[in-house]
Amino acid sequence: MRVLRRIWALSAKEVRHVMRDPRSLYLALGMPVVMLLLFGFGVSFDLERLPIAFVDLDQSASSRELRQRYTANDDFIDAGSIALEDAERALVAGEVMAVVVIEEGFERHLRRGEQASIQLLIDGSDNNGATQTRGKAEAMGRVFGFSLAQRSVASAPPPIQTRQWMRFNPEGRSAVFLVPGIAAYVLAMVAVMLTALTVSREWERGSMAQLFSTPVGRLEIVLGKLLPYVVLGTLAVLLVLAVGMWVFDVPFRGSSVALIVLSFLFIAGMLGQGLLISVVARNQMVATQAAALSSMLPSMLLSGFIFPIENMPMVLQYVSRIIPARYFVEGLRGVLLRGNGLGELWPQAAALLAFTLVMIVVSTARFRRSIA
Amino acid sequence: MTEHAIESRALRKQFGDFVAVDDVSFHVEKGEIFGYLGANGAGKSTTIRMLCGLLEPSGGSATVAGHEVGREPMRVKASIGYMSQKFSLYRDLVAEHNLEFFGGIYGLSGKRLRSAIEAAVERTGLQPYREALTSSLPGGIRQRLALACALMHGPEIVFLDEPTAGVDPASRRDFWRLIRELAQAGTTVFVTTHYMDEAEYCARIGLMVDGQLVALDTPRALKRDWVPGVTLSVGGRDLHRGIEPALALPGVIAAEPFGAAVRVRFEEGREDEAALRRLFGEVGRVDRVERVDASLEDVFLAVVGAGAKDEAA
Repeated sequence: MRVLRRIWALSAKEVRHVMRDPRSLYLALGMPVVMLLLFGFGVSFDLERLPIAFVDLDQSASSRELRQRYTANDDFIDAGSIALEDAERALVAGEVMAVVVIEEGFERHLRRGEQASIQLLIDGSDNNGATQTRGKAEAMGRVFGFSLAQRSVASAPPPIQTRQWMRFNPEGRSAVFLVPGIAAYVLAMVAVMLTALTVSREWERGSMAQLFSTPVGRLEIVLGKLLPYVVLGTLAVLLVLAVGMWVFDVPFRGSSVALIVLSFLFIAGMLGQGLLISVVARNQMVATQAAALSSMLPSMLLSGFIFPIENMPMVLQYVSRIIPARYFVEGLRGVLLRGNGLGELWPQAAALLAFTLVMIVVSTARFRRSIA
Repeated sequence: MTEHAIESRALRKQFGDFVAVDDVSFHVEKGEIFGYLGANGAGKSTTIRMLCGLLEPSGGSATVAGHEVGREPMRVKASIGYMSQKFSLYRDLVAEHNLEFFGGIYGLSGKRLRSAIEAAVERTGLQPYREALTSSLPGGIRQRLALACALMHGPEIVFLDEPTAGVDPASRRDFWRLIRELAQAGTTVFVTTHYMDEAEYCARIGLMVDGQLVALDTPRALKRDWVPGVTLSVGGRDLHRGIEPALALPGVIAAEPFGAAVRVRFEEGREDEAALRRLFGEVGRVDRVERVDASLEDVFLAVVGAGAKDEAA
């Protein structure tokens, strides 16, 4: 009973600090939403309206049809016809993303049922743009080829035809898969910040000595400080996801219980990490920097938010296993997009729980009991 | 189980090569006001911190409120109140919330917490400041609030580490009235200070010099032992040149300037007012000669002086 009363007293005090100085409320609730909007609108891997120029050496009905097909939807826009000599210059100047060269005799080859080729010069300096341009251009060439093949009576249908069906994100919008990542990244940062300062602040103010003169235990301090922020942080998660669904049309197909459990565990883990930093750091300056570094970089780079974990070097793949953001991103994508529940996502929940417990145990163990 | 409120046995604290507290032994009676005096850095705070379980002793042991500090720190902490030298409440909370917090930390809740707060507010006269932000309180009120927080759970013993440092004289007097009331109600008070006038209020005094407890007794006995004899104060003008020759008078132990006056201490029964008037009349003007009591300040200087002599020898 006394233990609970002490934890309660610590939590109530922490809430009063927050009420006194609502900056941490803004930090917890306002900042994640603002960052989600900034990232959500700013970071998009969907490329549209890529300017491409054409060098049409054939000047035939077929070459014109090809050109039309390229620019029929919004993926590419027609940057005009240029001469072959100017193709290189246009790429160097960055005026176009790609140049499509249609060789002379394009229509003649097609008529005869021979292979007709087009040449694609792509600006490779933007890797993501180049990859997408190549993919889209190839797809269009293939589609055009099929439709020509079907039109000609003589030729049989192509032997193999792949029908793709992209589940969970049929339009392939990057927002749908980025929002969970952004949410994890932003919330990781905010949560670590929230607690990183609470213990070092007590040391700096001298109130820690006062606390230690009372029968309060270290675990009680750790839990008492964690509790109010876990509530605040879980609210922040739900708020961010609500904004994500509303603004970016991210679907929510899975179990809300799973969502709340994962959010709670993730937030508790990150707050625990902040607390550990706070316990070890001793002054607020060091604590702030350690908090920023230890939360931002791993949850950005190693969570699978931007870079797929499968593509990482083996070492980093192992490292990513201790990054809570990884499990939270996986969990969120599962709940929101794949419609999962805890039945599928219990390994992620278990990993987050384990991280949280380790943080609490290590924070308590590293808590210096004595002063001076 | 010991009958003393506090018992320290060869308590020792070493930081690297520096011995902050050097084998200190003493005991404090229940309900006593025990003064712990010494210059800054003499080891007062370090001793208090060890007794409160904030600092682990390097050697020796101590029993506080019947519990061994090293073995049962949590029990010790539950039976004591501690007020640190540096103001350490939460400045961004209002006064009452600080009381509420410390009450909660000591395990109070509900009705018992409310009545403990009322009692503390009543006792320390904080009624008008309950809703005030702690950072906005004047120094004297803050110290009273800190004391009130340390008393929330009705501890048997309170440790006050320089509770009146930097507080104006009127507030210091009020604060000491509180301390005396506490002791009358049966609470043991262990207090450090470097104001010698405050030390007069203590039932017994321990004097620390360089980590060692060099004297321990009632104020009266300390004065008798460390500043023996009879002190005469010579008041007037231009008297300081008479100090050297006065030391040569028969029976004189010491002669020191005290403001414009000179204080001359004789061995008991050998005081000679006429000789002083004659001697100082030659170098300046003597207005009056009167017998004065030794102060604790004299004791302190004598004790520190003895320590310095020991070192020289």
